[in-house]
Amino acid sequence: MSEKKIHEDQKYIEGLLQNNSFIIQAIYDTFVPKVINYIKQNSGDADQAQDVIQETLITIYNQASQKKLQLTCPFDAYFFLLCKRKWLNELKKKTNKEVTINEEVLSKDDDSQELAFETSLFGEKQELFNTMFQKLGNACKDLLKATFKIKSMEEVAKSLGVTYAYARKKKSLCIGKLTKMVQESPQFNQLNY
Amino acid sequence: MKEEDYILFEAYLAEELTVDEKTAFENRLKTDAAFKESFNTYKELSGFLEHTIKNEAETNAFKSNLKSISNQHFNETQSTSEGNKKSTTFSLLKYAVAACVVLLFGIVTFNKMNQPAYSDYNEHGIMDLTVRGGNIGLLIKTTKAFNNKEYEKASGYLETLLEEDPENKEYQLYYAVTNIELDKFEISEPILQDMAIGDSAYKNRAIWYLGLSNFKQDKEEEAIKWLQQVPEGADYYRQAQELLNKLE
Repeated sequence: MSEKKIHEDQKYIEGLLQNNSFIIQAIYDTFVPKVINYIKQNSGDADQAQDVIQETLITIYNQASQKKLQLTCPFDAYFFLLCKRKWLNELKKKTNKEVTINEEVLSKDDDSQELAFETSLFGEKQELFNTMFQKLGNACKDLLKATFKIKSMEEVAKSLGVTYAYARKKKSLCIGKLTKMVQESPQFNQLNY
Repeated sequence: MKEEDYILFEAYLAEELTVDEKTAFENRLKTDAAFKESFNTYKELSGFLEHTIKNEAETNAFKSNLKSISNQHFNETQSTSEGNKKSTTFSLLKYAVAACVVLLFGIVTFNKMNQPAYSDYNEHGIMDLTVRGGNIGLLIKTTKAFNNKEYEKASGYLETLLEEDPENKEYQLYYAVTNIELDKFEISEPILQDMAIGDSAYKNRAIWYLGLSNFKQDKEEEAIKWLQQVPEGADYYRQAQELLNKLE
């Protein structure tokens, strides 16, 4: 596949990544009103819109910092699609039935559809990983937290009062356990189609 | 997968395998689909953990900054949209209704003057647990339920959070508050009493809530005893003084 060109709106992604208040403010001023309107027109209220928007921006932030998100389409379309997807999921969860939705406000743009899809998949995975991590036993949680915070396994072993070999083995087994829990969860299979 | 497989995954990712072991590993990835699938998930989880744990502080800073910009934005838009839009007749009707309510309220308060009620004081502030790391889905649900005054729900969520993190003082405090709201004082009071003699950041709030909790149960003397202990400058000091004045 040919290399796609990065859109100039990448500045919004970088701004989020740097926790730049000026850019965050600009996103709220420029792109948020349309999302609020959309949610209000589709069985939602301002509070719900606020949550959806905030959660979406956190997902973008996470993807940008973990996966070096690169925008190949306008931020406007990408952000709107993401919020829309999130809102539809919320509605589905709440009502458990089909909802009538006002049709597309934006023209269909393959790049933004694709990118928004990737990001929301990423967000759902993060949520699943997080939930599963919380379900691990405390011994594993503590060990993993120490491992990734301290970096040097020797120091981790020392701080936990165990041998290096034991800490090392325990780390693999804890992530292994997590791997198993994630693979066995029904959500994971839905995300991995 | 067997334990040895996970140990192998880790060694491969840490680049600690010999050339031969590495080749064998990569061959197995090509031929064994289950092995490959588990390895990919393992790798993804490892990346997720590394990132989330290492960057916890930055992520929290981002979330709280975002939250404050968001709140500001939504407060502004709400007040402006309420300001225009509505038609004049509707406004007139609204004022008329408002006038009646004020009048009625005036009569009721006049009758009740100097008789403070629990509901005058159960303003708990806006909870926000979502800036913390952890089970974000559950934290959001808890925050929403609590702020919507759905205390039964919030209490249930907090119970789950406390199972995972029993020493968390913030969860304990809010769990106690929901139980005051639900009149389950036998649950809330021991938690608050422990907190009131400890030295957590929530000590003074615990003292205030013990006052409020006793007041709700009409135990005025007990309530006064606690309210007097809310130190000047603490959250709820003003409310504590006001309630004290009315009780004494």
